[in-house]
Amino acid sequence: MSTLVRGVRPAGYTVLRAGRARFLLHRRATVVATVLAVLLAVGCLAYLCVGETFTSPVEVFKVVTGRPSPDELVVGTLREPRMVVGLLVGAAFGVAGALIQTVARNPLASPDIIGISQGASAVTVAAMPFGLTSTAALPYVSVAGGVVAAALVYLFAWRGGLHATRFVLIGIGFAIALRSVTTLFMTKGDYLVAQQAQIWMTGSLNGRGWPEARPLALVLLVLVPCVAWAARAQRTVSLDDDTATALGVRLGRVRLGLVALGVILASVATGAAGPVDFVALLAPQIARRLTRTAQIPLVCSALLGALIVVVGDLLARRLFSPTELPVGVLTAAVGAPYLIWLIVRSRTVRPSGGTA
Amino acid sequence: MPVRRRAVAIVAAVVALALAVLLSLAVGARAIAPSAVFDALLHGGHSDAAEVVRGLRLPRTLVGLMVGAALALAGTVLQGITRNPIADPGILGISQGASVGVVLAIAYVGIHTLTGYVWFAFAGAGIASVAVYAIASSGRGGATPVKLALGGAAINALLVSVTTAVLTTKASALDEFRFWQVGSLSGRDSELVGQIWPFLLVGVVLVYAVARGLDALALGEDVAKGLGQRVATVRIVGGLGATVLTGVGVAAAGPIAFIGLAVPHIARALVGSDHRWLLPMAALTGPVMLLVSDTVGRVIFPPSEVPAGVMTALIGVPFLVTLVRRKAVPA
Repeated sequence: MSTLVRGVRPAGYTVLRAGRARFLLHRRATVVATVLAVLLAVGCLAYLCVGETFTSPVEVFKVVTGRPSPDELVVGTLREPRMVVGLLVGAAFGVAGALIQTVARNPLASPDIIGISQGASAVTVAAMPFGLTSTAALPYVSVAGGVVAAALVYLFAWRGGLHATRFVLIGIGFAIALRSVTTLFMTKGDYLVAQQAQIWMTGSLNGRGWPEARPLALVLLVLVPCVAWAARAQRTVSLDDDTATALGVRLGRVRLGLVALGVILASVATGAAGPVDFVALLAPQIARRLTRTAQIPLVCSALLGALIVVVGDLLARRLFSPTELPVGVLTAAVGAPYLIWLIVRSRTVRPSGGTA
Repeated sequence: MPVRRRAVAIVAAVVALALAVLLSLAVGARAIAPSAVFDALLHGGHSDAAEVVRGLRLPRTLVGLMVGAALALAGTVLQGITRNPIADPGILGISQGASVGVVLAIAYVGIHTLTGYVWFAFAGAGIASVAVYAIASSGRGGATPVKLALGGAAINALLVSVTTAVLTTKASALDEFRFWQVGSLSGRDSELVGQIWPFLLVGVVLVYAVARGLDALALGEDVAKGLGQRVATVRIVGGLGATVLTGVGVAAAGPIAFIGLAVPHIARALVGSDHRWLLPMAALTGPVMLLVSDTVGRVIFPPSEVPAGVMTALIGVPFLVTLVRRKAVPA
């Protein structure tokens, strides 16, 4: 077999040989991922250095590597845990958005469009006027809300199979219904509760730290093998239904798996920081336009999501100081212009496929 | 789909609309018999019932009619232009543009009346649409459906961040804005009707002008060009119409979601995808949904009212789910 295949290499791929195993590596995607990782590292360093007081990078390195430093409190206790939450939340949203856009075959589909974020918001905002406002209990409430909303959408969209358009349409219907319920709750309490609800719904890393980061990191670690499976499974789902079925793909199961993974990722991220708007929509689309791969690249989506949230929170903390804005205000301001620029600059005309 | 079936559907929609209007005039905190409603409208009179019908419910019903038709038409056209079944004024950022206009008016210009909001909402919607189209049409290949949809989503994201930035820093603005944001028809008076009807007319004319063009677009860009349609003109004129109509709807009633998304699909299920039938059907179905929602909202939890914007979604979701499940939705 190998004699036949030798020399036939898909354009833009490099073959990696490790002993007898071989892997195809998309060259451009690898370069993009590397650049994004470097940018993310720079962003993290800036995040830890900049604040009410400026800390030198040298001291930051000391703190991060666990050596004694006078800036232990500011960097290690205040900024570092908050940054870690931001990184994890961003990466989770990036991957969740990529998976849901792939299954829905629509670049507009993301957790904040198909009702997951709205489910979380509705339950959380409904709980707030009843005195449930502690950041210790709210995450569980919102995760439950998101998962329940997604399960309902899936249940209603299922009819002998999961049709992509049907799934998205019903998702949006639920999203709108839940959002209007949320806005109704917003008008019920006094304006202080409304203010708090508004900030939570915008997505904020304010006061987030290790207690939020630990469960989030744990869940993401457990999900890494699932994401690796998803990266492979994505390819089959992006074919049209008939082709995929003919190739022996169990479409229903694979889609359910991908959507469930996306929902869980989006829900835990929402629980930790609130529904940080548009990260899940923007990151995968930017990643795809950068790498020019056929599918949405998961690693790059995760890196981009993390980058958008960390840079967004840095700007939100410093831009209008002493006023601290919620990070959700600026994630769109970081991501959207870039996506716009990519659209404006786009050279190739893609056929208007589902995930283009 | 045979013409007869379509005609029947249109007639049924007209009857449903007449019933919805009558209900909207007759039902509320004080139920008024239909005969008394007609009496009040035709012969005047100054009884309490007549004053309620003429002074409160008639303007409210007229605004509901206009807003429902405007939003449904805008959604239909936007779905046609972007060839995306989930496009609507909300997702493409046009409603959000109007919201930004209103937020800025409340927070920095000190405008606190509905009739004052109108112009800001219009300006916002217009600027947002121009921005979306400018982004989508630049670069090679012009305004493709995907570029339009993504450009709209990106602009929407930016505008949401402007809105939330103002709302999370100015508590007083949030306190006022949250009531407008729900979307409601209560307290709308005849002055508002007088303000928005010319715009509605312009929007409807623009939208109907591109009905054939939208049919051609549905077949794909190359086919549309081959059929002699000017694709860019269709998109610009249709988009302009959709913007004006969204402006009408949002300015008059707040960002009422769902109508722009769901009504086109409901109308398509009833009369097929020919825009010359689809547009009138949407214009009839939209107000039915909005007026019924508004009327139900008045009486469901007395003495308080549930705003129309909430009821549309709660009544509309089961409708949409049933329809979408019943058949493969023509995208």
